[in-house]
Parts: sequence; C-alpha cells; structure tokens
Amino acid sequence: MDFEAVKEIIVDTLACDEEKVTADARFIEDLEVDSLSLVELHMALEDSLGHSIPDGEIGKLQTVQELVDYCNK
Amino acid sequence: MKLLNEILGTRYPVIQGGMANIATGRFAAACANAGAVGLIGTGGIRTAEELRNEIRTARELAPEKEDGYKPVIGVNLMLMNPATDDFVKVCIEEKVSVVTTGAGNPGKYMADFKAAGIKVIPVIGAPILAQHVEKLGADAVIAEGCESGGHVGEMTTMALVPQTVDSVDIPVIAAGGVADNRQFKAALALGACGVQIGTALLASPECPIHENYKEALLKAKGSDAIVTGRIGGTPVRVLKNQMTVQYLKQEKAGADKMELEKYTLGSLRRAVFEGDVKTGSLMSGQVCGQLHDIRPVAEILEDITQM
Repeated sequence: MDFEAVKEIIVDTLACDEEKVTADARFIEDLEVDSLSLVELHMALEDSLGHSIPDGEIGKLQTVQELVDYCNK
Repeated sequence: MKLLNEILGTRYPVIQGGMANIATGRFAAACANAGAVGLIGTGGIRTAEELRNEIRTARELAPEKEDGYKPVIGVNLMLMNPATDDFVKVCIEEKVSVVTTGAGNPGKYMADFKAAGIKVIPVIGAPILAQHVEKLGADAVIAEGCESGGHVGEMTTMALVPQTVDSVDIPVIAAGGVADNRQFKAALALGACGVQIGTALLASPECPIHENYKEALLKAKGSDAIVTGRIGGTPVRVLKNQMTVQYLKQEKAGADKMELEKYTLGSLRRAVFEGDVKTGSLMSGQVCGQLHDIRPVAEILEDITQM
C-alpha cells in the first residue's frame, strides 16, 4: 500500500484536513487521534490489507510514515 | 435469543454497574444475593490486596443459597488504573466469574482471562468498538449510552444498542437510561439480552454512598444530570452543583487541564464518603429524575425486570 492509499484511509476515518496528513505528521499531536478513531483506523486498515492486524500495533506507531512502513512490511 | 441470566446463571438479566468507589465487595454481594451480577469496581482501588479483600468479602457475604442458587460476583476493571496488570492476576487467582472492562482496550488480557475461564464483557460506547472487542474474543458487550452516569460517550442507548446488535454476533447488554420496567422492556426490544444498572441502585439502603448523595439523587430532576469535560475530551455525567457549574464556566472560558483538575481532584470521594454535595462529584445518570424512594436492591431489581 503506497503513501497515497494510506493517506486516503486516514483522511476518511479521521475526517481530518488532507494537507495535514504529511509523512511526518504525528497521530496524536497533529491529527488528534483518540481511542475511538484509533480503532476505526485499525479496522479500516484491516479491510484494505485483507488481513488482521494484532491488537495494539497501530497504537505504537507515532507518524504517518511509520504507518505506511508498517503496512508494507 | 438467550437472556443474560441464562448465559451467566443469575436470577435476573441484570449486571450491577461497577461504579468507582461505590461498588464495594459488600455492595456487590447485596446485588448478587438479590439476583443480579454483583460487580466490584476497581476505579477507586489502589492495590491488588485491596481488590482481593473486596472479592473475598463479597464471596463471604454472598454464599450459595439453600435452594442451590450461586450468587455471581464479578469485577469491573477500569483499565486506566495503573494497577490493572495486578488486578487481572487477582481476578484470575480468585476465579471471579465475569470481568467487565472500561476506559480502554482489554486486548492484552484477553488470552489470560480465556485460559482461566473468565467471561470478559467490555463496556463500549460505539458499535465499531464492539466489533473490535468481538474479534479479540469478548464474550459479550455492554453497550452504554450517554444517558448513563460517570464517563460517557457520544451515542444514546436508543441509537447505540440496535446498531451494536446489528454489528456483532455476541450478546449485547444495554446500559444507560434503564431504571424501570418500561426501559428494561425497551432495551430487550432494541435487541439487548439484558441490562446494566447503576444509578437506580444508588437509591437503596445497601448502597454505601453518603446519605446526602442519596438525598441529592432523589431531589434531582433528569435535566440536572449534566456533562462536564466535553471540551477537554473527558466527558463525565454528574449532578449539577456549585462545583460542576463553576467547572463548566471555567471550561468554556478556556481553562487548561491543570486548572480544571483543581475542581475534580478527589471530588468523587468527597461526594461518596463525605457527602459533600456542593463540591463533590455526584455521578448520576439521567434516570435520577425517576428515583423517588430509597428501596431495597431486591425490590428494585424485581420491579425493573418484570416480564
């Protein structure tokens, strides 16, 4: 999954400003992710990737780039 | 559909809410003896030994009945409590029947609970969270609408329960806004298999809160149960009093967290133990407007659950 695909999911689930979703944007500080939106993001990513993500993994990631890297591992 | 009492072996399809500082072992035993699931709330408990004592007290006060009925005791884990890892160990060692969880994700404890045969029932405030915990192995969920007291989400019970029922295959228990038989039947009509009751049980002689707190509940109108902390992201439903009005004023004026904490620090304990109804946090759901008498837990449960 490339950066743009991950960005689309983030914008869609967090309803945040597209311009804010840069590679080094931080989830909590810049994108204001809370516990509910974190689960929404987790489940949306699982749908896109077509496989399940272990619980708690997404919450460990700090930036958008880290998430992109995680999705392509 | 199986009702909650058939799933958990209680007399009634009711879980007593695991209210912090209120749901002691003694109170849990009273509710369990009366036929509900009696919960011990870890919200105000500091150490593992304290929790173990509460569980043992509950067990002692709620022994097996002559007719063979076994009162069901559980624990509500407030996951933000820093001692939660230790509390989980105690729940397993003491072999409690059921654990409900709030304020976080119970995922990391799920395997241990399963291995110990403990049923795990997370409290959720949105259908997507129910889907998430179902995948993690939850046995059921408590869908708690924002009519409830204490920490609340965005959705109402009326909207949350049917949407949760439609999005998961595990049983759904309704919470928030249930204090009489009409609301109990409504919850079942929405697809719930039972209810969790908090506020209605506060107005009982068995409930350990201060008499002033009980009086304030009986006096309160439904519209007095207001929400503080919406702006800061930690919404809590409490009765309107000097402290909450001041808090809301400061919150609107843009006060920061530290400033606001001055009002809330220790305020639940002030309400529960000292009966300070002016500056304490009198947590209450919107059903406070329906409470008119102090009645025994057994009578409250029997009335609510008439079929």
